[in-house]
Amino acid sequence: MMLTNPEIGMIQLASFIVIVLLGFPIAFTLVAMGVFFGYYAMGDRVFNLLVTNTYDVMSNDTLTAVPLFLFMGYVVERANILDRLFYSIQMAARRVPGALAVATLITCALFATATGIVGAVVTLMGLLAFPAMLRAGYDTKLAAGVVCAGGCLGIMIPPSVLLILYGATTSVSVVQLYSAAFLPGFMLAGLYIAYVVVRAIIDPSLAPKPKEFDKPIPFRDVSVALLTSFFPLAVLILSVLGAIILGLATPSEAAAVGALGSVILAAAYRSLTFQRLKEAVYLTARASAMVCYLFIGSWTFSSVFSYLGGHEVIEHWVDSMHLSATMFLILAQFIIFLLGWPLEWTEIIIIFVPIFLPLLKHFHIDPLLFGILVALNIQTSFNTPPMAMAAYYLKGVAPPHVKLTEIFAGALPFVFMVFLSMALVYVFPGIALWLPHQFYR
Amino acid sequence: MEQFLLFIDRLSAGVGKAFGWCIVIMTLGTSYDVFMRYLFRAPTDWAFDMSYFMYGALFMMAGAYTLSRNGHVRGDVLYRLAPYRVQAGIDLVLYLIFLTPGFTALLIYGIPYAQQSWHMHEVSIYAPTGAPVYPHKTLIPIAAALMLFQCFAEVVRCVICLRDGVWPQRLHDVEEMESAILAEAEDRRRIEEELHVGAGK
Repeated sequence: MMLTNPEIGMIQLASFIVIVLLGFPIAFTLVAMGVFFGYYAMGDRVFNLLVTNTYDVMSNDTLTAVPLFLFMGYVVERANILDRLFYSIQMAARRVPGALAVATLITCALFATATGIVGAVVTLMGLLAFPAMLRAGYDTKLAAGVVCAGGCLGIMIPPSVLLILYGATTSVSVVQLYSAAFLPGFMLAGLYIAYVVVRAIIDPSLAPKPKEFDKPIPFRDVSVALLTSFFPLAVLILSVLGAIILGLATPSEAAAVGALGSVILAAAYRSLTFQRLKEAVYLTARASAMVCYLFIGSWTFSSVFSYLGGHEVIEHWVDSMHLSATMFLILAQFIIFLLGWPLEWTEIIIIFVPIFLPLLKHFHIDPLLFGILVALNIQTSFNTPPMAMAAYYLKGVAPPHVKLTEIFAGALPFVFMVFLSMALVYVFPGIALWLPHQFYR
Repeated sequence: MEQFLLFIDRLSAGVGKAFGWCIVIMTLGTSYDVFMRYLFRAPTDWAFDMSYFMYGALFMMAGAYTLSRNGHVRGDVLYRLAPYRVQAGIDLVLYLIFLTPGFTALLIYGIPYAQQSWHMHEVSIYAPTGAPVYPHKTLIPIAAALMLFQCFAEVVRCVICLRDGVWPQRLHDVEEMESAILAEAEDRRRIEEELHVGAGK
């Protein structure tokens, strides 16, 4: 039996998925699959394709922002900023119902946005805010959910690396993605906060007021605390983001200035040592290599896949299902939701988004809007069992009596908040598209 | 043999870490360009080329280093549950039939690709300075060779693990914040448990 090229393409995709599940590094699997199937399809030329793809990744001017934002994140993460940040926000939010949880969410949102590293935010806040909430007599589930959900906000709220990778894979402009993600990101954080406040009002025993803030705190003290710990980081992030959205600088340029700013910030907090700088540099090198080798693999893999006509098979297949645009969108998001179980968001964005991409045009779906929905969707992958990484990180640092099932249960309402905001963005696309339309029409 | 393994690890880590400092040059150079542009209306003509030279060198040359730290991401839902010997078996076979051919191709075809660029003194198309791109292209075969070298070390590690049933030690290095914190929490828990058992006796 002779197989047609598109069928070989399907075999390529299927064998890739099987081998990924074996647990071999994904970047190398992609390169190998691309080279093997490419050799079958186009002979020696696939080797030149691999080399030119490698050089294309090496000279891609969107991806240059990736190591810079990673570096900024690692520096902020090591700047000893979190304690005072959390404390100052706690003071400022002390009169709000569920004050500690609200402060945790705001701290997470800001810190996660600056670092972009979910694991670091969840473990650090798991050591700082989680015990504080338990001490104050908070419901364990609520406290756990707040830390897990808050820790993931950084991959959504710009400037995030996720959106750069999405931009590099789909050729949607990163600038537009950032301005489109701005309102939905804050809407999601707002929904989280609203949820906590409402729960605390309905049942104050879930989130009792901590005793240390009983006595009145002079307004001046609160302002000083905010000015010295909240504002510097907030200003740093907003100026990076503002420069990008207003078109004053490219994402890479803004990222470089942001990275420099984070080093200055760390120095101002007297926590910049050569040792920490070195750690940040080495981790940046490793994380960048991890991401960019995935790109080398993925571009080779997908050029061979489309050369074989694999995309057409998928298109025909989707065509034959007679889906409406909405149904297709729900299906695509559902698949991405499921992929969050075995894979991390980097691979989902770099490898699977390109498969959906040609279909978007077919269904007249704006890739910009799709990107925002994907970014929201990926929040859930950290918080839905069985592979809820955020929950595992929290479990790892939580006191022994906190059960994993409690953390899962606590994170669940926040997962629904994500679904709610996805629905809102879909029904009212203006939430995402209004801001980019103001600037780039 | 152990010594030779560690030598390869040190080589990969040394190169990767050295090129890691490109991020600092990139940060300073690009920031300088932005400041010159807005403060003195005098943008540089080299910053753009510099940024992707630095970025490309940074990640390409850190590839082997990342491999030596087992840092290339895996879809390891099932893998992490498997016994060490099974892990080593999977890795051994796939390093040999997957990683080796791909990166050998990158090495063999990367050399003429770089040579051609040297031969015609290829320069950047983006900037008037005409920065030479051949050193950048030369990194491709070098990075591929380093990767193959490190791959050899990983293969030996797999064989040792198949023999002994445990993964051999890796060089100590900086870890992601969450790994470090989780390891510390785990240690503390173990110590507390031991104390508890001791007190119970």
